[in-house]
Amino acid sequence: MMGMGLEFIWRSLRTTGLVLLVWFAFASYYFGWVPAVSAFVGGVWGMLNLMFITQLVRVALRPEGADVRRTIGFALIKFPLLYGAGAALLLTAVFDPLWLVGGSTAPLVILVLKAAGRLVSESLTSEAKAVA
Amino acid sequence: MDYQAMLAWALPIGVGLAAIGSGLGLGRAVGQAMEAMGRQPEAAGKIQTAMIIGAALIEALTIYALVVFFILQGRIGG
Repeated sequence: MMGMGLEFIWRSLRTTGLVLLVWFAFASYYFGWVPAVSAFVGGVWGMLNLMFITQLVRVALRPEGADVRRTIGFALIKFPLLYGAGAALLLTAVFDPLWLVGGSTAPLVILVLKAAGRLVSESLTSEAKAVA
Repeated sequence: MDYQAMLAWALPIGVGLAAIGSGLGLGRAVGQAMEAMGRQPEAAGKIQTAMIIGAALIEALTIYALVVFFILQGRIGG
């Protein structure tokens, strides 16, 4: 697939940020503040999680060998701090857990939809080329 | 065995099974990605992207199991 390098992840994260902002405006009007804020906070957590997964894979799994110091740094931020923050968000009575989880799924949904859209458009382009 | 006791048994076992499943899946995915990168170092960027998407999806499934655990643990006891 063309253009499926790491910039695909960054583009998906940017799209997720935009979708979360639109969703926040929509949900605060139709569902109320708690679902809107819960989904938004969950989405930001999901974006941070995906960013740290990306950084971990980038520094730990590369052909020239792992950058051990940065791998340990990212792992120490991701696993105790980000997961601790996620558990704290779930355990506080402020946010709705289901909307939090729904929000944290947003980056994954956008990644899958963008990848599927790319696959479909590429197959249509190659079919059109074959016909011509 | 009543509902409360069954829930108290099922929740940790469910989270444990989810963690084992995602651990096995992630280990296999990383192994295959490293093999693919070793064979084609010039395609490392694309392999890393596929790896990140796979890792995020696998991790999300365990997080869902953990969230279900947090939501249902309030119904144990009392």
